[in-house]
Amino acid sequence: MLALDIRNVNKQYPSFQLKDISFQLEKGYIMGFIGANGAGKTTTIKSILNMIHTDSGEVHILGRNIAEYELELKQEIGCAFGGNDFYNRSKMKTLTDVIKKFYKNWNDETYANYLRRFKLDENKKIAELSTGMKVKYSLALALSHGAKLLVLDEPTSGLDPVARDDLLDIFQELVVDGEISILFSTHITSDLEKCADYITFIENGKIIASSEKDEFKESYRLLNGAESQLNQVKERLISYKINSFGFTGLIHSRDFEPTFDIKATIPSLEEFMIYFAKKEDTHV
Amino acid sequence: MYNLVMKDLKLGVNPMFFLLPILMGALMLVPGWLYFLVPLYFCWITIPNMFAGFRTQNDLIFTTMMPVSRKDIVKARVFVIVILEILHLVIAMIYGMITIRLYPHLIYYFFAPHMGFWGLCFVMFAIFNLVFVPMYYKTAYKYGGATISSITAAMLFAGVAQWLGIQNSFLSDTFKGTGVDNMALQITILIAGIVIYIAFTMIAYRIAVKRFLKVEII
Repeated sequence: MLALDIRNVNKQYPSFQLKDISFQLEKGYIMGFIGANGAGKTTTIKSILNMIHTDSGEVHILGRNIAEYELELKQEIGCAFGGNDFYNRSKMKTLTDVIKKFYKNWNDETYANYLRRFKLDENKKIAELSTGMKVKYSLALALSHGAKLLVLDEPTSGLDPVARDDLLDIFQELVVDGEISILFSTHITSDLEKCADYITFIENGKIIASSEKDEFKESYRLLNGAESQLNQVKERLISYKINSFGFTGLIHSRDFEPTFDIKATIPSLEEFMIYFAKKEDTHV
Repeated sequence: MYNLVMKDLKLGVNPMFFLLPILMGALMLVPGWLYFLVPLYFCWITIPNMFAGFRTQNDLIFTTMMPVSRKDIVKARVFVIVILEILHLVIAMIYGMITIRLYPHLIYYFFAPHMGFWGLCFVMFAIFNLVFVPMYYKTAYKYGGATISSITAAMLFAGVAQWLGIQNSFLSDTFKGTGVDNMALQITILIAGIVIYIAFTMIAYRIAVKRFLKVEII
C-alpha cells in the first residue's frame, strides 16, 4: 500500500513553478526529500497538506485523496515544520491540552511515554526548548494521535550531530513495525545516507529522480579525469568542475562507457546535489 | 468548532482582553460623556493587538496543520470576536444602568445610555464586523488595512448617528428625551440593533469563508 502518492502536481508562481511533481512512498518506509534551498521542497510539502492550492494534479495519502478527505486524513498525519514556532511563550502542557482535543485517537499514555523517552519536561515553555527538543515535541504529539504518515519539513536542520543522529535513530525505530511512514525534507545529505530507504530529489521545481537509495546512487557516476579527457565526455556530463588536477563531473550511468578509461566512482548524495545545482546554473 | 474557540481563548487571546471590558466599561461612569467611545475601545485596542498576536505566534499555520476545516477556522474566529464584543457591550450596559441611577437629573448633550443607545452600539459593531472580517480573510494575516477601514466605518456611523441625535429633534427626543420612558420603543430599537448585528456578522462570515478558501497558507 502506498502511504503517499503524488501525481502530476503543478503549481505556477510568478517567479517559480512546481513542474509535474510525481513520486510515491511505500507504507513503512522513510523517504528523504532533498533539494537545495528554494528548490521547492516546502512548496511540495504544503501542497501535500492541502495548504496551498495546486493548479493540477492529485495527492493521495493512505489511498485517499487529500482534497476530498482532508479532515479524516489530517487525523492520521503528523507534521513538523522546522524553524516555525507556535505560541512559544506557552508551556508545552498548555499547548498539548489544546492540541489533543482535536484528535479522535489521542492517547495520553502514549504521550506520557514519549515525553519520558524524549526527556521532555511538560512544564517548560516552547521558547525554552532546544531545536532538537522542539522536533521531538512535534514527534511526540504526532505519535500520540496515532499518525501513520509523518511529514517533516527540515526536522534535522539546525541540530547538532549528536541530536541529529539521535533523531535519525528514532525515525528508524518508528518505521520498524511497518505501520508508520516518514517523508522528511532536508538539505543535509548525510542524514539520508544514514536512514532513508528512498530518495526523492527536487531541483528548481522538478523531480529529478525518485527511487530506492542505492539504486538512486547507482544510476549516476562521478568521473575524475585529466583535463585532456574532458572533451571525450563533455557532452554527456550533467555538469563538471575543472581544477588543477583535471576535471570532476557527474554522468548518468547509461551514458558512461567503461572504455573511456576515466576513474568513475559512485557519487555521494552531496556530490549529486552539487552537480545538479551546477547544471541548473549553467542553463540560466 | 468548539475546540477552535477554546484554542483561541486558552492560547490566542491574552487574558487582558477579557479584563479590558471591565476597565473600559468604567468610562460609562463619566457623566454625560460621548458614550459611543466606550465600545470603540474594543476596536482600537483589542482587535489590532489580538490579531498581531495571532500573526506573531504563527496561528494560521498552527491551525491549518490540525484536522479542521477552513470554514470552521473562520467560524471560530468570528465567534471569538462576537464573545468579546458582547462582553464589552453587556458590561458597559451594566455601568450605564449605574450611571443613570447615579446622576438622575443630568442633562445629556450626547446620547444617554438607555436601551435605544445600546441598539445603536450593536449596529456600530455590525458595521465594524462587516468591514473587518471579510477584509482580514483576504490574506488571513494582514490586519492593518482591515482594522483602519473597519474602525473608520464604525466611527463614521457613530459620528453621523450622534450628529443626527443632536440636530434632529425626533431622534433627540427618542434617545434622550421623552422617548426614553417608552419601554416598547427602547426595546424595539435594541432588538432591531441586535438583529442587524447578527445579520451583518453572518454576511461577514460568509464572505470571509469564500475568501479564506482561496488563501495560500505560506
